[in-house]
Amino acid sequence: MDGVSGDIMVTSTNRKCSAVTGSARKIKDNAADWHNLMLRWEKLNEDGFNVAAYIVNMRLSQNSQLQLVDQSSSLSSASAAPAAPAVGAAELQDECCKLQDVVDKMVTVVKKMEQLMTSQRGIQDLEEFQFGPEGRKCPLFHTWNTKQFKLLSGVLWEAFSQELKLKQTILQELAHTETSDLCMVYLSCWLHQPFIPPQIRLTLESVLLETGHRPL
Amino acid sequence: MSKPTVASLHQALRKSFKSLENNQKVWKSALVECSPLMESLGNLAEQSRALSNVQISNTPLRDFPDLEDRLRFKLLQATDTVLGKLNEKMSSLQSARDAISNQVCAVLQLYEQNTDSLDVLTVTERSATTPSIADMLEWLQDAERHYRQQFLRRKTLLQMLRADNLSLLESAPKRWKTLESPSAEDCITDTIYKVSFFMESQ
Repeated sequence: MDGVSGDIMVTSTNRKCSAVTGSARKIKDNAADWHNLMLRWEKLNEDGFNVAAYIVNMRLSQNSQLQLVDQSSSLSSASAAPAAPAVGAAELQDECCKLQDVVDKMVTVVKKMEQLMTSQRGIQDLEEFQFGPEGRKCPLFHTWNTKQFKLLSGVLWEAFSQELKLKQTILQELAHTETSDLCMVYLSCWLHQPFIPPQIRLTLESVLLETGHRPL
Repeated sequence: MSKPTVASLHQALRKSFKSLENNQKVWKSALVECSPLMESLGNLAEQSRALSNVQISNTPLRDFPDLEDRLRFKLLQATDTVLGKLNEKMSSLQSARDAISNQVCAVLQLYEQNTDSLDVLTVTERSATTPSIADMLEWLQDAERHYRQQFLRRKTLLQMLRADNLSLLESAPKRWKTLESPSAEDCITDTIYKVSFFMESQ
């Protein structure tokens, strides 16, 4: 752990007694918050996917049942036909509420992410005020300047807020979709999260590494 | 005069059957791990197919212009991951096959080197506990051929897959299943039972 250069020595001792203060403290805490929020998002995404898949399966089996009922009623009178869709509708409503709940929680997560981004921007503004447009001379941690933290939190927030919009659209449309192909596309959108690029995990890890949450 | 030859041949046969028994287990477990991977491969193909069937600009998703490309990229990436894992499993299958092949080759070689001192009577002689050398060599060769063919068929199936050929990807899990040949596997298990007394006798 003993660093060769002065900076690393400082941060490693700081890490031990956690005496980071000021902007560095704030940035370090923000990094931890990013990590936790992204974990929370993953969990919500998983929960939401299970509900969404259930809704789609229910819709599809309902459709095929209705078709069967149509066929049988044209042949003879179907006795249990009117009751079945009503039961299904109530259950569908329940599941949609669950999904709504998940998306609401995602909204909260993204709001918190936005706060993190704003706070990062605030730190950047403060540094500019303190040290001029160039920013501080020596880095707060290992090599990054404050601007890089601000840029990265912007990238992260951008990805998640776009993904949230997609989820909200899916939430609105999922239970009204007739074609199975479109249902499948909604589900795979939900699962694969197209607006969250694969390198985002790397981005987060680099922030954690820089701020000393991960040992070098 | 052929006593030592028979003894060494018996020893080599025991070793081969032991290896066959172990590698059959390795093979089976690797194959079991393959099936969920094949399922997800077919599932991903289905998702890609659905995406191709849907005209995004005619759906509520039209507000996300680059959605299709992004989703396709993610699907391809996921497919790639699954194929990578399948490739790992194929390596386990290959090592099981190689181990069996090497053992069987070695025992056959030993037999061929000693054919002069082994007459038909010795080779076909059997007892209640010990099958004849000829039988055992045949069983080993059958087993070896089975794994060789199985591996080649499965490897070919995977190598034929192309990311842009959805129908191949979609049908892959089904074709993978049809390659199963439980009768041949049972045959090998039977063989191992048949030689169990012989294996125990030293």
